[in-house]
Amino acid sequence: MKEKLDLLLREGAAKIEAAKTESELQEIKGALLGKQGAVTELLKELPKLDVSLRPEMGKAVNNVKNLLTEQIEGKREELKLKASEISPDFDCTLPGIKPRIGGLHPITQMCYDLNDAFRSMGFEIFQGPEITSEYYAFDNLNFPPNHPARESMDTYWLEGHDSGEANEKLCLRPHLTGGSVRYMQKHKPPYRFVYPGRVYRNETTDARHERAFFQYEALIVDKDLTYTSGKVMIKSILSKVFGQDVPVRMRAGFFPFVEPGFEIDMGCLVCGGKGCSVCKHVGWIEIMPGGTPHPNVLRAAGVDPDEYTGFYVNIGLDRLVMMRYGVDDVRLFHGTDLRFLEQFK
Amino acid sequence: MKLSLNWIKDYVKIPENMDLKQLAYDLTMSTVEVEGVHDLGKQFDGIVVGVIKEVLPHPNADKLRVCKVDIGTEDIKDIVCGGSNLEVGMKVVVACPGAMVRWHGEGEPVEIKNTKLRGVASFGMICAAVEVGLADLFPTEDDHGIMDLSAFDCEAGTPVARALGLEDMILEIDNKSMTNRPDLWGHYGIARELAALYDLPLAPIPAYTPGACEEYDVRILDEERCPRYIGAKIEGLGVKPSPFEMQSRIWRVGMRPINALVDVTNYVMLAVGQPTHVFDSTHIVDHIEVRTANEGEKLKLLNDKDLELTTDDLVIADKEGAVALAGVMGGAKDSVLPTTDSVILEVANFDSKTVRRTALRYDNRTEASSRYEKAIDPERCDQALSLAMRLFSELYPEMKVTAFTDKYPNKLVKKEIDVDFDWLDRRLGIRVPEDIVKKKLGTMGFEVTYTDEGMHIVVPTWRSTGDVSIKADIMEEVARMYGYENFQPTPITTSFDSAINQLDMDLVRKVKEYLAFRAGMQEIFTYPWMTDSFVNAILPTTDGVLSLSMPPSPTERYLKSTLLPNICKAIVKNERNFDEFAIFEEAEIFRDTDYTSEYSEIEKLPYQRKHLGCAFAGKSENIQALFREAKGIIEDMPRYTHMEGFNFRKVEKPYWADETVWLNIYLGDEKIGDLALLSKKAALACDIKVLSAILVELDMDSFKPLRSRTNRYVRVPEYPTNEYDISFLVDSSVKWSEIYSAVLPKKSDDNLLREVLFVDEYKGKQIPEGKKSITLRLVIGSGEKTLTGAEIETVANGARKKLSKAFGIDVRTV
Repeated sequence: MKEKLDLLLREGAAKIEAAKTESELQEIKGALLGKQGAVTELLKELPKLDVSLRPEMGKAVNNVKNLLTEQIEGKREELKLKASEISPDFDCTLPGIKPRIGGLHPITQMCYDLNDAFRSMGFEIFQGPEITSEYYAFDNLNFPPNHPARESMDTYWLEGHDSGEANEKLCLRPHLTGGSVRYMQKHKPPYRFVYPGRVYRNETTDARHERAFFQYEALIVDKDLTYTSGKVMIKSILSKVFGQDVPVRMRAGFFPFVEPGFEIDMGCLVCGGKGCSVCKHVGWIEIMPGGTPHPNVLRAAGVDPDEYTGFYVNIGLDRLVMMRYGVDDVRLFHGTDLRFLEQFK
Repeated sequence: MKLSLNWIKDYVKIPENMDLKQLAYDLTMSTVEVEGVHDLGKQFDGIVVGVIKEVLPHPNADKLRVCKVDIGTEDIKDIVCGGSNLEVGMKVVVACPGAMVRWHGEGEPVEIKNTKLRGVASFGMICAAVEVGLADLFPTEDDHGIMDLSAFDCEAGTPVARALGLEDMILEIDNKSMTNRPDLWGHYGIARELAALYDLPLAPIPAYTPGACEEYDVRILDEERCPRYIGAKIEGLGVKPSPFEMQSRIWRVGMRPINALVDVTNYVMLAVGQPTHVFDSTHIVDHIEVRTANEGEKLKLLNDKDLELTTDDLVIADKEGAVALAGVMGGAKDSVLPTTDSVILEVANFDSKTVRRTALRYDNRTEASSRYEKAIDPERCDQALSLAMRLFSELYPEMKVTAFTDKYPNKLVKKEIDVDFDWLDRRLGIRVPEDIVKKKLGTMGFEVTYTDEGMHIVVPTWRSTGDVSIKADIMEEVARMYGYENFQPTPITTSFDSAINQLDMDLVRKVKEYLAFRAGMQEIFTYPWMTDSFVNAILPTTDGVLSLSMPPSPTERYLKSTLLPNICKAIVKNERNFDEFAIFEEAEIFRDTDYTSEYSEIEKLPYQRKHLGCAFAGKSENIQALFREAKGIIEDMPRYTHMEGFNFRKVEKPYWADETVWLNIYLGDEKIGDLALLSKKAALACDIKVLSAILVELDMDSFKPLRSRTNRYVRVPEYPTNEYDISFLVDSSVKWSEIYSAVLPKKSDDNLLREVLFVDEYKGKQIPEGKKSITLRLVIGSGEKTLTGAEIETVANGARKKLSKAFGIDVRTV
């Protein structure tokens, strides 16, 4: 009987420990201590024993009964604390409810990325007026008097302000460089600033051409500076924006307001420079014009070109964003279609 | 522009082993963008000369023949062919299996395979000119005509490309990359660049000296716009095809050979970049004059376009009238005819802007006009004249120049520039060795004289028409020829005076980020012009609205004077796809007023301000929720963006707003915007079909950023505060602002009532008509002790009394 009792205690304890729910525990309790429970059955057998053994065994059985009861109650407490009040059918795989998150326009995002990069290099941000006089759009920038860009086929002139002297003619700014002169006139060199903004050209639109598009102009003017510093600047900025080392090359290019002027290419990130359809199989993508501000431009800004020189780039934001995301139609940027805009979180 | 490498080699001996990829790269880096290098010979791979040995009938087809053809292999090949001009002994073009041809000159090239035609095996194909892309050089009248090479000295089996001298590389140059370089618009100009790049000698073009002859009568009546005119009467000519190599060269770079007289003029232009023209001399009456066109003067061009000229055009005329549009195109009447045997050769220089404007005016840009408009130097006429005379004398040994004149009233002055080394070295960052500078500049035609401090440079005429005029231009020439990639990158040095502090710039960004990321709105961009239908919906009048003189479309002439029309357009666009959305735009608006400029006294710019426009579009069932959301976002904006706060007033209803649901937004006592429901009428005019929209417009330039964060620390309450809700019925017309000010104690009172909050407004079942149920929350607490229930009840009862008194209602204890 003693062995039976020991076994009962060992097995009972193990069962209780293994119980996972209160109902399971209740069953175990019944099987051990209930009316037909194993321990109760043993108690019932006590009278059959020799009288001399009865007190000792009675004590032992009661002891086991108490130990088990204690353990069951302990376990019950433990299970109670652990238990969830929620039905096990609760579905944790349902999607989360997200806060309504809007977004900045992908061009704004790129612009802010560039702002951050340039600010970290000590550049100020400048913004100028969108309606400008011809004087600031062309004359200050060394555009010859009859340059094709001045004509209405390229520039949006304002009704009632489309003839007369250069200071009287008004247009939507055709580029930002004229505005840069405004900054320089108001400040003293050396300069280090960027000028993000939208510009307007009167042209036929298609997937690669828009009437309104974004430029991002950066200008340094200082005493001793060579174009190779400009290359360092562009390379660091692009590498920061694209999160990887970006090869940059500068080749001969012509723009009236720079001398010397460059076309600046970045290595194609799609094919790594091997050549693909994105880069027209040359491994390079034309990304911006740049160069040293023409002495006449510096003069217009009131800066002595013999003392100061500089470096200028004008980044086409639309092109850069198109490359960043693989957008294939520039008109989407002004299309106001939320199905497009919401993709850029 | 296309260039033939073989042609370039006439002028500069490019080493045979030169890597053409490298050449294209070097040219791209230093001079012009080479868009592609095309191996012309490759196009003719597997296409060889065959000699027809026998022509046999085809057993199964009447129109086909079986030719026995020698293609230089050991065996004679059988080739089935349908050509109409097949003859024994004829040299033909055989496309062997593997070669690419275009069937009947149409569609994509297809690969030739060994095949059976109507049961007879055929090795490849005997080709017509169109099938191998040579129709321009071998024109036939018969569609079934086989290309005949019998005139060529070549053996069976010779690759056709070699037999015809077509083993050439064609460089494709991006025209946009050389708009500033009139000297580059021909093979000779590019050859000069290559000579300088690779330090090779450049072959000179020998000068032409006219023999003794009559003076040809040329009168320049507008010397300003025609700086030079050479006229030469040449007799003893005739219309015939030009030699094959001349035709081939013209064709290889993208033009069509016509006849020897015209081909010479085109060849000269393609060689040296100077357009020339020939008139049939029998048609020129008396003399040639260069003059301004008369208003309405008529001219029929070579391409049969009938023009009515203006006084802005420059024409070549004879005694009777205009014969050509100067620099653009010849007239039909006096051009080369089949009977022409004597010509007037024109080699002239015209004003670039005149040519450009005229070509654009009549939508008639030509190879000639696109060169003239780049400003060619008048001295180039000498090169063109000598080359033309040489070619004419080669083609027509009998020819004679019977009259000649060279009118060049105002000689082009070469630019002269002084460059000091100190400046050059500083700008370049290194000293480029003198011998390199001298050699490169010398090859490009610059005359360089060294002085103690620098160089005195005389610019060649072909760079003196605007391209090179200052020392920065010389620096560019030195740098690009030395090689931009040979300069070491130099880091940028910085000096810090003070940290960048641009509160206004930062504020704009904070506002946009607040709207996007806290308020869950999407930023949009729209054009600066507005569409008429939306303008009419939003604006009471277009007075004071600026407009474009040549708008993108007739209904998009007005420039934004408010952001709302374009925002409404965006609502229309998106309501198809979304039930609710919130958008914003930050952009400039313009008005025809307050002309001024902060930059220059001579400039007067119109009123332009940065505005913020927002739209909250949603279903019409719950305007109040939509309105409160919009209001909440605007109310909280100053807090999150660190600017001075707004207040709302009801002073002036915006034109486009609903009669009831509108507010004006104020900053202090200055009105800076509106927040309102778009009226039903305006929404209909905008064609917004389903959704309702709360619109907001704010003048962002009025925003006042705080100089730093201005929050003051407030002690956290030591004793608990209690919330106590009161519900009551009140007339529907009573506004929350009235309730709020009725309950909230004045500042001076030392009151336990800390705050009054709105909880809920309810109308509907169980609420009598004309009433609404309001639930508000009192926040009650003391700075000195924990309040007892009775004390809290007293405060609440005070509020109830105030409400009862203010609105004549009975607000009972619940």
